Parts: sequence; structure tokens; C-alpha cells
Amino acid sequence: MASNAAVPFWRAAGMTYITYSNICANLVRNCLKEPHKTEALTREKVHFSISKWTDGKPEKPTVRSDSPEE
Amino acid sequence: MVIVPATTGQMGAELKPGVLSVHEGNETSKYFVSSGFVFIHANSFADIIAVEALPLHQIDANLVQKGLAEFTQKLSSATTDLEKAKAQIGIDVHSAFNSALTG
Repeated sequence: MASNAAVPFWRAAGMTYITYSNICANLVRNCLKEPHKTEALTREKVHFSISKWTDGKPEKPTVRSDSPEE
Repeated sequence: MVIVPATTGQMGAELKPGVLSVHEGNETSKYFVSSGFVFIHANSFADIIAVEALPLHQIDANLVQKGLAEFTQKLSSATTDLEKAKAQIGIDVHSAFNSALTG
């Protein structure tokens, strides 16, 4: 039956598809002309809150607003 | 990744950075896609899911050249597997850009 070719190099290096995809998207955005580049950079922003759970209860959440990760 | 069905038509594949051309009648529009998936239905409709897809004229050729040079250099100075993979991805994306711009 059809089987996949050798595992892609990024997966062999321990990277997941989502990381690969985000890196590709990042690189693509960096090669744009203005004004598209500034529009694209706004798409990369993330804003979320995290809370760790201990003993079945959430601790105080922290809010993170990272610009494009590196 | 490929999804292949039994008898009815459903097909899909994983995309790599490159050019996607849409043919409508006599017109063709080309987009550069960063990565994603394509899923083809039984009725020949295809869904394309991409993180970034842009018309070719939005690409800045100078930045592409600079990026290619930078990542080629990073690949030679990379140590861990992960760094090498990242540098290789950089090279792949920028080379795909190059062929998109010239091809």
C-alpha cells in the first residue's frame, strides 16, 4: 500500500507540523512589501491568559501578549 | 500526509511552501502559499487551508534574496538538529519564493 516517503527533515529533527507551519508563515510574512507587511505582522500577534492548575484548582492566571515568537 | 478513500472520492494532501494557481475559465491567479492542506471532495470541489496565501505581487524580491543568503549562512553555522531544521526550512521557503518570482 502507499506509504509515506522518508519522514520530512523537520519531523526527524523533532519539530511538529504546527511549528513548521508557523515558521513558514513567519518567513513568508517577513518577505512582503509594505503596506502588506504591517498588515501581516498584526496577524501574528497573540493574546491569551494561562493558569496553572494544582490540586484541582487553578492558580492566578497570567496574561500573555507575545509578539511573533522566535 | 495523504488521505485516500475507499471508493468515493475524497483526497487530500499536505502543502509545502510554493505557488498555487487558480484557473477560472481563461484567467489564472497565482498565490504563494506558506503551508497548509488541500482536501478534494467527491464532487471535485477542493478546499485549500493555508496559514498565509498571498498574490505574488506582494512579495519583495530584495527581502527574499537577503533571507536566502541569511538562511544559507545559518545552515552552515547551525549545530543542533533543530537549528539545522529551522535553517533548512528558511532555505526552502526562500527558494520557493525565488522560483515563484522567476517562474
